[in-house]
Amino acid sequence: MKRPPRTAPLAAALISAVAVAVLTLCTTLFLRSYRSAVVEAARTNSAQAVSQVVGTVGNYVSTMDSAVSIVMERLDDDTARRDAFLNAFLTARPEVAAITAYDADGQLLDCWAQEGRKPKDAILRNLSFDLTTARRLGHGYISTPHVESIFEGYYPWVVSVIRIVPEGDTARCWLSVDLSFKELAATISNVGIGQHGYCYLMDERGNMVYHPQQQLLYAGLKKEEAGRLACLGDGTYVEDTVIYSVQRVPGSPWRVVGVSYIDETVNESFWQMARIAVATAVLILFAALIVGWVLSRSLSRPLQQLENAMEQFEQDADHFAFQSVRGTREVQNLSDSFGHMVGRIQRLMTTVREEEVVLRKTELKALQAQINPHFLYNTLDSIAWMCERSKNADAVQMVHALARLFRISISRGHELIPIEKELQHAEAYLQIQKYRYKNQFTYHFTVDESCLHCLCNKITLQPIIENAIVHGLDLMVDSGHIEITVKPDGDDILLIVADDGIGMEPEQVAALLQNEPSDRTGIGVKNVNDRLRIYFGAAYGISIVSAPYEGTTVTIRTPRVPEDREGDYDKLR
Amino acid sequence: MTNCVKRLLPLALAAALAGCAMQATDSNATRYQVALVAKSKDSEFWNDVFTGAEAAATEYNMQLTIAAPNSEEDYEEQDRMIEKAVEDGAQAIVFSAIDYEKNAAAIDAAAAAGVTIIGIDSAVDSAHVAAYIGADNYGAGQMAARSALDGMDGQLYVGLINYEVNGANGRDREQGARDAFADSGRAEVVAAMPTHSNAVSARSEALSMLREHPEINVLVAFNEATSVGAARAVQQMQRADDLWLVAFDSNIETIDALQTGVVDALIVQNTYGMGYFGVESAYELLAGQGSSVEESTVTTTHIITRDNMFAMDKQKALFPFG
Repeated sequence: MKRPPRTAPLAAALISAVAVAVLTLCTTLFLRSYRSAVVEAARTNSAQAVSQVVGTVGNYVSTMDSAVSIVMERLDDDTARRDAFLNAFLTARPEVAAITAYDADGQLLDCWAQEGRKPKDAILRNLSFDLTTARRLGHGYISTPHVESIFEGYYPWVVSVIRIVPEGDTARCWLSVDLSFKELAATISNVGIGQHGYCYLMDERGNMVYHPQQQLLYAGLKKEEAGRLACLGDGTYVEDTVIYSVQRVPGSPWRVVGVSYIDETVNESFWQMARIAVATAVLILFAALIVGWVLSRSLSRPLQQLENAMEQFEQDADHFAFQSVRGTREVQNLSDSFGHMVGRIQRLMTTVREEEVVLRKTELKALQAQINPHFLYNTLDSIAWMCERSKNADAVQMVHALARLFRISISRGHELIPIEKELQHAEAYLQIQKYRYKNQFTYHFTVDESCLHCLCNKITLQPIIENAIVHGLDLMVDSGHIEITVKPDGDDILLIVADDGIGMEPEQVAALLQNEPSDRTGIGVKNVNDRLRIYFGAAYGISIVSAPYEGTTVTIRTPRVPEDREGDYDKLR
Repeated sequence: MTNCVKRLLPLALAAALAGCAMQATDSNATRYQVALVAKSKDSEFWNDVFTGAEAAATEYNMQLTIAAPNSEEDYEEQDRMIEKAVEDGAQAIVFSAIDYEKNAAAIDAAAAAGVTIIGIDSAVDSAHVAAYIGADNYGAGQMAARSALDGMDGQLYVGLINYEVNGANGRDREQGARDAFADSGRAEVVAAMPTHSNAVSARSEALSMLREHPEINVLVAFNEATSVGAARAVQQMQRADDLWLVAFDSNIETIDALQTGVVDALIVQNTYGMGYFGVESAYELLAGQGSSVEESTVTTTHIITRDNMFAMDKQKALFPFG
């Protein structure tokens, strides 16, 4: 099964993921709105720049119109007054390069120019007047910018305004006023839109009138979309990355086109924004790591400690010593609760175990108090029989043995009695049984004197001896022997009951230690073993070595308990 | 994640942040400074170059300064101008060398100071020129010779009036003309006169050449000043009708002379284009769009005669605004 992830990395990952998602969303939204704002600003910027140029060009056009009107008014004056006026006019208006008049065939009739300028005798080509265009359009036209070509050594760029002269003057048919284009050209050239934009002038059909990079256009190094833009009305058009702003110049056939580019500014902002976003993302990641670390320290790690503590507790509840875990308040509360729980469970366990022991001892005591009625009946029957046969001495001995047996059995309620007493009890039992079994067996005690005053559970030997007689010797044809040995073994004392009876099968041995005697009441071998273990622990108890037809040796291991230490083991009573 | 990584990560992130911040400040520098160091201030040729340069500077929103020595021979003055431009913080220098070899040291020094160098019109002997924009001078010389060969029948006796023999331009033009004449098989260069690049000395050299070699029926002058001088000489000798004069670059005097027939053909370079592309290349190189900049750009050269001089495109080439 897949294990769920840990809290701290999970929290860090979640924070990072949410932050990055939000950041991406914000950045995208911001960039979208930013781009549209930038485009809008660029449009406005472009439109404003173009408006300014339109204003300048409009002024220029109205200057041309006024100049033509003024000249036209004075054309019919007499020669001297007219020339005087026009010369004064030209002095006052240095931007007017020349005023020329033509007859119906396009022949140059008059020329008024700035002081000192006279038209050449042989004019190669006069760019100020084009008869074909004039005739086609009827009333007059505004030329595209051209070089003034009628003077020697003077070639300014001009725009010619050609007007038809009203009826009345026979010779002069056309009037042309050449107005310097240089300043206007400079104005248009110097208009920059944004980082990388410019303006140009086109006519209604999209023919280039003036372009700052006209040479490049002629050389084919640059292209303009003038033809296409001519079809569009006034306004600002955003196409891909280019902004075109088109506006008509009032009173003229010209239109101003502003060209600017949005990509560089927007892209620059985009990358700047992207950088900021990345930096923010990095910061958030950093913050998330710190949060993760803090969480790990304040929550995950204490929880893990707690988890480990619980695991230990689960494995060994008895010997678990709980140490409270530091952390946030929740963790500490949890830790305290767990600590209380551990204490309580351990107390409960102790109580339960103690109660169990007490219960068991009570049970065992009730058993000890019982006298096997068969044994008592048989013994009394034997005594009665002895009395009938006047074997008084034997009867007295039997009664004494029985009395000793009972006295030691009772032993003032003590569970632990000196081994000496236990041996007396065993001997009394053996004496009685020997009478009953008509000396069918012999017995012998081998006792280490140092053990006599140590304590052992009472009625420990008797059930073992009973077992030896009943299961080992009773069925024998020959007389048997029971050897009882008491000897120290390190810190312990061994009580050994060995018989040379018929022995037992391993199954019988196992049954002897596992089952309470079912055929009769009284204390069985298992009972003895249980008592030893309850009192002294699992290291003590009975071990049985037996081989069929060879005998059985039962070894009782009990700790060496001096008489004055009885209280240590009897406290649970 | 191991502990080591956990500890190093914040450091790495801090470094990344610092990097981002520094980049952000870099992108704020927008207005580039460009210096144009020309060969001369007064000629129409150079005025047109300046017009083109200014147009590009306006279009690309750059700060342009223009400097040129008073004399078209003073390469040392040019070197000083380069140094001053570097001191003033120019990020790019658009340069036209008076001397192909002697200007090289100053250009190398400027390039070493981190300035982007763009050559226009006249090349300089430096490996640090990032881009060069100029006419095909050899081709222009050939063009001049061919116009004479087309316009004149019979045997041609050619006189050449050149300038600044150390400059690469004049040398290439003369070579182009000489090669084209030699290839025709009916032309002979009878005299070649190096002169200072001003109209007065060119006129006197041309006069003495025409007097010394009256058989000369084709005269080629290789730049604006020598052309003016040659035109004056031809006018003075009244040889307008039987002598084919090829002049270089547009000047009011040569334009007048073209209309009267003294000058028969005018070789005009796209001077505006040199200025414009020079500054544009500077912008592109500075703005990191260097991939779009050609190492060498050849600007167009026009041949202008009486017949086509007032055509619209030729007007623009002949008569600069300004």
